[in-house]
Amino acid sequence: MKLLKTFSILSLSILLISNYFLINSFTIKKFREEIKDFNLKNTDGKYISLKDYRDAKGFIIVFTCNHCPFAKLYPQRFNELNTKYKPLGIPLIAISSTDTIMYEEDTYSRMIMKALNEKFNFPYLFDEEQLVAKNFNAQKTPHAFVIWKENEKWILKYSGAIDDNGAEPKKVQNHFVRNAIEDLLNNREIKIPETKSIGCQIYFRK
Amino acid sequence: MKKINLKTLTTLFSVLVLSFVIKAQSYNTLWIPDTLRGTNFNLALKDTFAQIVTTGNQTITGGINGKIWGPTLFFNKGDSVHFNVHNYLNDSTTIHWHGMHLPAVMDGGPHQIIPPGTIWKPYWKVNNNAATYWYHPHLHEMSVDQITKGLGGLIIVRDNTESALALPRKYGVDDIPLAITDRKFTNLNQFSIAPYGDSVLVNATLRAQYNVPAQVVRFRILNAAIERSYNIGFSDNRNFSIITSDGGLLNAPVSVNRYTLHAGERIEILVSFIGQLGQSFDMKAYNTALSNSIAGGETFTTGPFGSFLNHKDFTLLHVNVVAQTTTPILTIPSSLTTNTLLSASSAVITRSLTISDSAGVTTPVILGPNAFLLNHKLFDFNYMNYTVPLNNTEIWQITSSSVFGHPFHIHDVEFNILSVNGVAPAAAQAGWKDVVFVPGRTGPTNSVVKFIAKFDDFADATHPFMFHCHIALHEDEGMMGQFVVTNTNTAIGMNEKNKDEKDFLLYPNPANDRLYISFIDPSMVAYYIRITNSVGKTIYMLPRPELSNGLDISNLSPGIYFIQLTDDKTKLTTIKKFIKE
Repeated sequence: MKLLKTFSILSLSILLISNYFLINSFTIKKFREEIKDFNLKNTDGKYISLKDYRDAKGFIIVFTCNHCPFAKLYPQRFNELNTKYKPLGIPLIAISSTDTIMYEEDTYSRMIMKALNEKFNFPYLFDEEQLVAKNFNAQKTPHAFVIWKENEKWILKYSGAIDDNGAEPKKVQNHFVRNAIEDLLNNREIKIPETKSIGCQIYFRK
Repeated sequence: MKKINLKTLTTLFSVLVLSFVIKAQSYNTLWIPDTLRGTNFNLALKDTFAQIVTTGNQTITGGINGKIWGPTLFFNKGDSVHFNVHNYLNDSTTIHWHGMHLPAVMDGGPHQIIPPGTIWKPYWKVNNNAATYWYHPHLHEMSVDQITKGLGGLIIVRDNTESALALPRKYGVDDIPLAITDRKFTNLNQFSIAPYGDSVLVNATLRAQYNVPAQVVRFRILNAAIERSYNIGFSDNRNFSIITSDGGLLNAPVSVNRYTLHAGERIEILVSFIGQLGQSFDMKAYNTALSNSIAGGETFTTGPFGSFLNHKDFTLLHVNVVAQTTTPILTIPSSLTTNTLLSASSAVITRSLTISDSAGVTTPVILGPNAFLLNHKLFDFNYMNYTVPLNNTEIWQITSSSVFGHPFHIHDVEFNILSVNGVAPAAAQAGWKDVVFVPGRTGPTNSVVKFIAKFDDFADATHPFMFHCHIALHEDEGMMGQFVVTNTNTAIGMNEKNKDEKDFLLYPNPANDRLYISFIDPSMVAYYIRITNSVGKTIYMLPRPELSNGLDISNLSPGIYFIQLTDDKTKLTTIKKFIKE
């Protein structure tokens, strides 16, 4: 019998399970926690903070970048989300937090070009020090968060993927971000408050 | 609520069954990786995505020059091959040329780390016999993650001996590469990091099928799995002929109806489909025959090592026999080559290695206290297991007290198996090998495997070669060791006169296309050059750079750069600045 291997499996599974809980308890804590405001430079040169949006009910915050093949599939959907929800008080803000030493394609000047070329109708902010991504615990590009105003505080309501089909938007079955917002707008419990974001790992400089 | 009647239930049930049947029967055409030929190879490693699961979301993958896996590289024995390995991943990696006999500094083991954004430029003269080899990431503790993403590719070496034989050689037609692995998918179609998958992937294709001509067909089979072994056979129980072991042709084809291929191993087989036009067969893994001490023979379906494929017979590739090609191969040769194997009496030393389970070991561990151990230790970058004198012929004797079987792989050499538990190797293993399966112990009796190898051509006291279990999880957990091959005839610079003599000049500076290096001491040789930019990012890693024509810097953007040059004799590194115009 593979008694020892079983021990190994057990210890590994305990490790995995404890990691799982760590991640989850962290995220769950995040769900109750207030999201800190930030002040980041937009591609038009102006600095943007959450507090600038006095009438916002909530935000769709998307961590994305120029270089990632999977992130490249989504800007049109970001425009559509912003077109639909900004008038309802839930604007979309995109933030690029990837390491620009590693990816020249993600530098600020290239962000400006991308926002112009792809006619972004939303702010595209440069998180040069990666601090905002760390604050949100953003993992991948793209990684979407929905935050909501409660008692003058920004509370995390959804974290994860935008939807469940990157390359074929017409075949999407679960619009995770849209569904979360619709639940919030209708004062319903969010059915799926968390998914795993799918895309390129955000590599944090040490 | 509306009451559901029996008819609705029956309809629902039949739809369910029908959809399951349709799903089970829908094959995908086997993807044949692109090829790269010649002597200059460009490999670009990227984080990308691919539509692997037929419907639904794409899977995030690692691709080399493409969406997943990498091109098949064709080498001719005797050619010097030069590489640009560009790491566009957002993590460090390495690329190891599995089975290749080459300098340690070109080997791509865990020491030759390519940071993100860097180009690694190894090169070597191809010394290997014609056979199927492969390349894959080998970053310590990250091999499982990076191989799971799909990073890797096949290498096909050709030589005069093999070319003179009447063998199938039309790539993708009658000479078909099969990189076999298995993966688990999350509910959003993403790869799970797990030792065992629930779905077979052959060349990154789920439920693969392929049309083969009604003639003799060659399959080049790589076990590219993280952990699982595959007990390969055909659904009609036919015999097939094994023509290579890992590192070259066998003396003669070996006819079998089953062959168990362990992680990292390759075989090439010939299968005759003559007279079978219009028929279909399955190449299968008959893993119900595997004991629970062989990877994939375990019976559990849940837990970290659980899988629906464990201890099951399952299809690897569905083949449909179609019309013959022009100039088909219609016979299987009776002999292939004459291997001159190393004789046990030529060995000057027998090294005794152990494989054990780590119960009771209290040394610091990486992934848990119960990893498998080589020589009672977990891998330590700073611990050199062996120093092998150049040109030594050695017997390595591996004694395993482990309950589990381990495919043992050594870098640098192809070896000959002398014995497995006292028995000479089976005919299909009596050739050149670089992976040997070390069975788990039988009751209280330890397993003993002996192989013999000659460590010739490449000495380097700085960069080691690795030996390890090729189950990537075990390797990541530390079931790995390292050795250097040293040339005792070369004096190592203990009494170097003057550090200044290690100095060099860069010209022209500023430079445009080429940067030349002139050594003050003409006997000086560059062991390694790194070119970094002004913010410290490594742009190029150049092991043993060829400097006679200068360094090609035409692709650098204008700016300030640094050259870190390591001298071969002293291994001292000197840094100089240059400007690219």
